[in-house]
Amino acid sequence: MATHALSPAVPAYRGGLYEWLTTTDHKKIGIMYVINSFLFFLIGGMFALLVRTELATPGIQIFTNEHVYNESFSIHATVMIFLFIIPMLAGLGNFAVPLMIGAPDMAFPRVNALSFWMLPLGGILLLSGFLTPGGAAAAGWTSYPPLTERLPLSSPGPGQDLWIAAIILIGTSSILGGINFLVTIFKMRAPGMTLFRMPIMVWTILVTSVLVVMATPVITSALVMLYIDRNLGGSFFLPEHGGQAVLYQNVFWFYSHPAVYVMVLPAMGVISEVLPVFSRKPLFGYKAFIFATAGIGALGFSVWAHHMFTTGAVFLPFFSLMTFLIAVPTGVKMFNWIFTLFRGQLTFSTPLIFAIGFLTMFLIGGINGAFSAAVPIDFALQDTYWVVAHLHYVLFGGSVFGMFAGIYYWFPKMTGRMLDEGLGKLHFILMFVGFNLTFFPMHMLGIQGMPRRIADYADPSWNGWNLLATIGGFIIAASMLPFLWNVFISLRNGKVAGDDPWEGNTLEWATSSPPPPYNFDRLPEIRSERPVFDARHGLVGHGGHGGRAEDEAPKALEEGHVDSQGPGRPS
Amino acid sequence: MSTSPRKRPASEALVAGGVVVLLIAIIGLVFWSGAGAQLYPPKPVTDRAREIAGLYDIVFAIAVAIFIAVEGLIVWSILRYRRRPEDIDLPPQTHGNNLVEVLWTAIPTVIVLVLFAMSWSTLNQVDATSVAQGQQPDVRIHAIAGQFQWQFEYLDAQGKHLATQVIPTGDKGGGMAVPVGKKVYVTLDSGDVIHAWYVPHFLFKRDVVPGQQNHFEFTVDTDEAGQTFHGQCAELCGTFHNAMHFDVIAMTPADYDAWLAKLVEKANATPPPPPSGAPVLQLEAKNITFDKKALEVAANQPFVIDLKNDDPSSITHDVEIRQADGTTVLQKQEAIPGGTDRAYQYTPLPAGTYTFICSIHPVANMTGTLTVK
Repeated sequence: MATHALSPAVPAYRGGLYEWLTTTDHKKIGIMYVINSFLFFLIGGMFALLVRTELATPGIQIFTNEHVYNESFSIHATVMIFLFIIPMLAGLGNFAVPLMIGAPDMAFPRVNALSFWMLPLGGILLLSGFLTPGGAAAAGWTSYPPLTERLPLSSPGPGQDLWIAAIILIGTSSILGGINFLVTIFKMRAPGMTLFRMPIMVWTILVTSVLVVMATPVITSALVMLYIDRNLGGSFFLPEHGGQAVLYQNVFWFYSHPAVYVMVLPAMGVISEVLPVFSRKPLFGYKAFIFATAGIGALGFSVWAHHMFTTGAVFLPFFSLMTFLIAVPTGVKMFNWIFTLFRGQLTFSTPLIFAIGFLTMFLIGGINGAFSAAVPIDFALQDTYWVVAHLHYVLFGGSVFGMFAGIYYWFPKMTGRMLDEGLGKLHFILMFVGFNLTFFPMHMLGIQGMPRRIADYADPSWNGWNLLATIGGFIIAASMLPFLWNVFISLRNGKVAGDDPWEGNTLEWATSSPPPPYNFDRLPEIRSERPVFDARHGLVGHGGHGGRAEDEAPKALEEGHVDSQGPGRPS
Repeated sequence: MSTSPRKRPASEALVAGGVVVLLIAIIGLVFWSGAGAQLYPPKPVTDRAREIAGLYDIVFAIAVAIFIAVEGLIVWSILRYRRRPEDIDLPPQTHGNNLVEVLWTAIPTVIVLVLFAMSWSTLNQVDATSVAQGQQPDVRIHAIAGQFQWQFEYLDAQGKHLATQVIPTGDKGGGMAVPVGKKVYVTLDSGDVIHAWYVPHFLFKRDVVPGQQNHFEFTVDTDEAGQTFHGQCAELCGTFHNAMHFDVIAMTPADYDAWLAKLVEKANATPPPPPSGAPVLQLEAKNITFDKKALEVAANQPFVIDLKNDDPSSITHDVEIRQADGTTVLQKQEAIPGGTDRAYQYTPLPAGTYTFICSIHPVANMTGTLTVK
């Protein structure tokens, strides 16, 4: 089996639009995921700025009426969740997972391309609602019936149907992607890459994929029922015809709570790659971290009704207890991350700075969530701006900071060029300041009584915090400028990265930047979760995780490489 | 990048130190200016609200302690373990420690179990009602939500309907009256979509779900008599969700009884007959749409619009006369629930063009032109 492959005869990325439109290369598809998601991030951000501008002062200012405001926050959330965060992380996974496990590509490259191309189509479907009479969906990203049951002044037009179609399409893309990840991870690992040597990023994608494959069909069923109610005369959720309004919420959140972990776990995976590399230490408690990830995934299926504490139709103690308990594995992760930094040698490159941004902000998102786990406090906080603060500390402070850590970390591997450190730090500072200015005041607004999803507010004492939040929103928007400029100039004139600019641990750093088609000419020996680290420091064969590398006699890495041709190599 | 040790470690230390000083300064400023106090709930005014506020204080204290401890650990690790020029050899490659893993699994588990037990016990007090315990509450109120207005039905202790208060349109001047120091038992009902009954000073909300009655109980503190507490719908319920305000007006029991007697008297009174000879215009509202887009009436004489509300009972309508611009209000009327009708009487208008509109659903379907000539 062992052969010495030749250097790649073709350049990594052949140019030309046709090549990109027809590619089945997981790296190109991953990059397209990232670019597509980033475009939707800009679109979703634009809607957020409209919402923030409207709320800067009391009264209706920039919108012609309240309905357009409702469309704006509904499309903002839908775009950010389904077309930005989930696919952005799936895109990073798409790029990184086959590289990290030493595979030549995903298990089903064509299915992979199909999953990607469904996303822009879903986005176009969703946004085309604005062109229909009645406008786009305006019932929030949750689209609770009976509000969405074609009532006047709620959701009369086809915009809501387009929303349903778009989410089903995007969900199908997720399911296909999840199956692809699962098969890739279980069947395509390089020799030596046992499950407990897989990078944490791969583990988080694995657990995420299980969540996606198990939960997404459930929301699809809710959406199909809603479509039948709206268009074919069904009454699943219409109480006057024997239906049940809260049923939708149970089915919806059975998906949408695990979806929170779909949006956070891969970002945790990114952090778990970045922190060890930039502190020159292994991840503290590798196995504990994996068990915590699996624990979050499992518990994630038993907390959905904490979104429904005020409906009066929930068994409160159970869901309260499970919600409190899910803080435990999350806390385990937090301590493992901190102890990875502890006694390390930290180099403050941009990926590490964004990773630390994740740690500090996600902590707040965990703590303010505990308030809502206490049911009586949730009676005060539910559906107020407190919840808006909480979810943004998790999904922006957590996921978005994490994905930017990933983008800065893997940009050299994707493009062969380094991003500029100064612009990267400017980006971080603007985003960090803007983020906290925008979302911290929402705690005050929420506990003082401002409900979410209102186009206007009567209480003048809410004006100050709202104005501050709006200013912060524009600072976040401004932080995108140094980032975009950074990408632009770095692609043209950036420092050439080389194979391994960060002294990485995992296999993607053992190939060229960008990697050739099918990724590897040769692989280092895989004897721990840090094969490239072992190779760099001449430490192989220390028997996997748990052994102390420095205790072992340094051994010169032999040149006997493992053949990289996996079973799934397309012919 | 990091293959060679950094040249100037001091500048980054300075920046990091500056960030910490800045953070401390911001936190200090927030508390010094009193803005931090707004992280506390508004003054609780019911027995249940005080329970919730007490629980909030405990959770808040634990949250602040955890925040400071963990955030401090992160910041300290960052400052302490910067890579220095002399750091060429690898740091100790610690892979983990089972003892600390067990500790930081077990200790948080204990903390969250304690939090859960406390919140559960508070929940039992907050959710307790006299009716569930087989007793009679002092006052029963039936709150009905519809797009985009509240109605409050006052019932006697046995549940017999006494009178309905449709809250007057506009931000001020109406809502749900309650006697202080009395057990008030509220039943929630929706005729269309999901709403939520939310009063920030009660630290409480409950969804108003169609096809499912929700109940809760509270007792307003006796020293709050004369106070008004703002409330509004907290569950997105359509275009004018943000306009679904109501007030809870706390009264002494004597004032409350007098107020309720007046409401009952008004409900039972026969409306005064329209002035004889005044023209009567028929108008019907169905599916949140007026059946007429144009009405015509003679100038300088009183007239009547007979509004028939054919929507479900939870949906209220009225007919306001506004200037032609559609915003300046000239004559207001009290809204009526679905399934009823009322002859609204208007005072004479000079010749001109006006707008008639439903103030609760100010959309094109419920707007028309009133020509006076």
